[in-house]
Amino acid sequence: MIKDLIIKEKVIRQELMLLGVLFVFSNLTNVYAILVHQGSWSELISQFHVVGLLTLFLYAVSLLLRGLFYSGRAVWRLTTKGTQS
Amino acid sequence: MNRRAFIEMISGLAGTTFLAAQMPWFTVFTNPSGAGMSASDRVRVGFIGVGSRGQTLMLNVQEFQARMNIDIVAVCDTWPEHKERAVAMINGQAEGFLDYREMLDKVQMDAVIIATPLHEHAQMTIDAMQMGIHVFVEKAMARTLDDTKAMYDAHIDSGKIMLVGHQRLFSPVYIKALEMINNGELGKITKLRGWWTRNTPWIFYDVPGGRGSALDRQRNWRLYWDYSAGQITELGSHHFQLANWVLDSEPLSVMGSGSLNYHTDGREVYDNYSLVFTYPNGVHFTYDLLDSNRHNGVGFQVLGNEGTMQLEANRHFAETPPRPPAIRTLIHNIEKSIFETIPIGGATWIPAEAVKYGGNYISPDYQLNETLLFLEGFIEFVRKGEAPPKLTEEGYNASTWSLLADEASREGTILTLPEKYKIKPCQA
Repeated sequence: MIKDLIIKEKVIRQELMLLGVLFVFSNLTNVYAILVHQGSWSELISQFHVVGLLTLFLYAVSLLLRGLFYSGRAVWRLTTKGTQS
Repeated sequence: MNRRAFIEMISGLAGTTFLAAQMPWFTVFTNPSGAGMSASDRVRVGFIGVGSRGQTLMLNVQEFQARMNIDIVAVCDTWPEHKERAVAMINGQAEGFLDYREMLDKVQMDAVIIATPLHEHAQMTIDAMQMGIHVFVEKAMARTLDDTKAMYDAHIDSGKIMLVGHQRLFSPVYIKALEMINNGELGKITKLRGWWTRNTPWIFYDVPGGRGSALDRQRNWRLYWDYSAGQITELGSHHFQLANWVLDSEPLSVMGSGSLNYHTDGREVYDNYSLVFTYPNGVHFTYDLLDSNRHNGVGFQVLGNEGTMQLEANRHFAETPPRPPAIRTLIHNIEKSIFETIPIGGATWIPAEAVKYGGNYISPDYQLNETLLFLEGFIEFVRKGEAPPKLTEEGYNASTWSLLADEASREGTILTLPEKYKIKPCQA
């Protein structure tokens, strides 16, 4: 039997917050790049798609890192539980 | 580019010395004859030679036949199947002939479109113009320099229009390209490069008797010296015209070499050539033709110190590519610092690398058919009774230099155009 997947409001808020932070970070990266590489300020608009892709890429990286962290922690807990019993 | 954008572009250039000097014929689209749809305004057109190319030209004329009030009044081909096919294409509404002289004698017409084997062009064109008929003849003009000059002289003496089918003269891409070159966007033009490479035996018809038989010489005429200079007159001629047009000059000389190194089946005409045309100011145009490898396809490049144009591909490349957006440079630099390997040994000499840059379109969204535009222009000129002299001169010059290139390749010498074949440069 398939169970409903429940995502708590708190988790949704946290993920949206993270996405927002990454979006701001990507825009700041664009500003930094424009300053360092003497780009045009119009690139803040014209390169919006690159900023969007960068945001999604960083979010995917964060998912991967968190996945690795939680899986590692679960494995470690299982291992230590086995040794204690 | 659609038709409206094309007309707008021509209108925008109207009155400029550039258009008047280098391509005056385009004004025919913004300043048409104004003829109506009555029977007296109708242009009567005949076709001589309705094989592969002739059929294409006929289909193009049929595209605008009703809109431009044209009557196809007669068709002629020595090959009965072609003649019958052409008559069927116009639903039997024109008479078919096997002999062009009979056609010209019997049928009243204003213009004739000739697409027969090269060696037949001269007599047909001269006969038609002497009978008061305007002529559109496929390129190149003729098989010999004497015939080519005789055609030009007949055009001058008769006062009849004679246009040669180098359709790139009517390509919107080239208008834009020449305008950009004229504006100095390539800097100083230092070299032209061209090539036409295919992997084909170039046999149009399989005939009993095989290569070298009388029938093969008649049907696959492009393979025999008596009738054609092969790739040079049938293909390269287009690019020789382009080179003259871009540089606004004729070559000073041509040298070349050629051989039969693959299609050794009994044909005579070479299957590969390498040519070098020398123009004023030390500019050279190098040109390759090959029938045994199609890797490079067809290309024509104009190279200057500030950019390159690849005209057949409708592309323009600035010598210094535009800087990519800053964020992409940043990402690229990060990627490079992470993934680039550091060599511990390697070549001590780094070759000059080609610029990796996709370039820009010369004429974006190009949709027009230049053969159709050329034929439309021809009909308009027939209505007006005259065409800009430069248009005929472009055809003449490309044809004479095609024949010289053929001769230079066969003799292995450097050739210039003999004085007797030079035509007086005309003001358009």
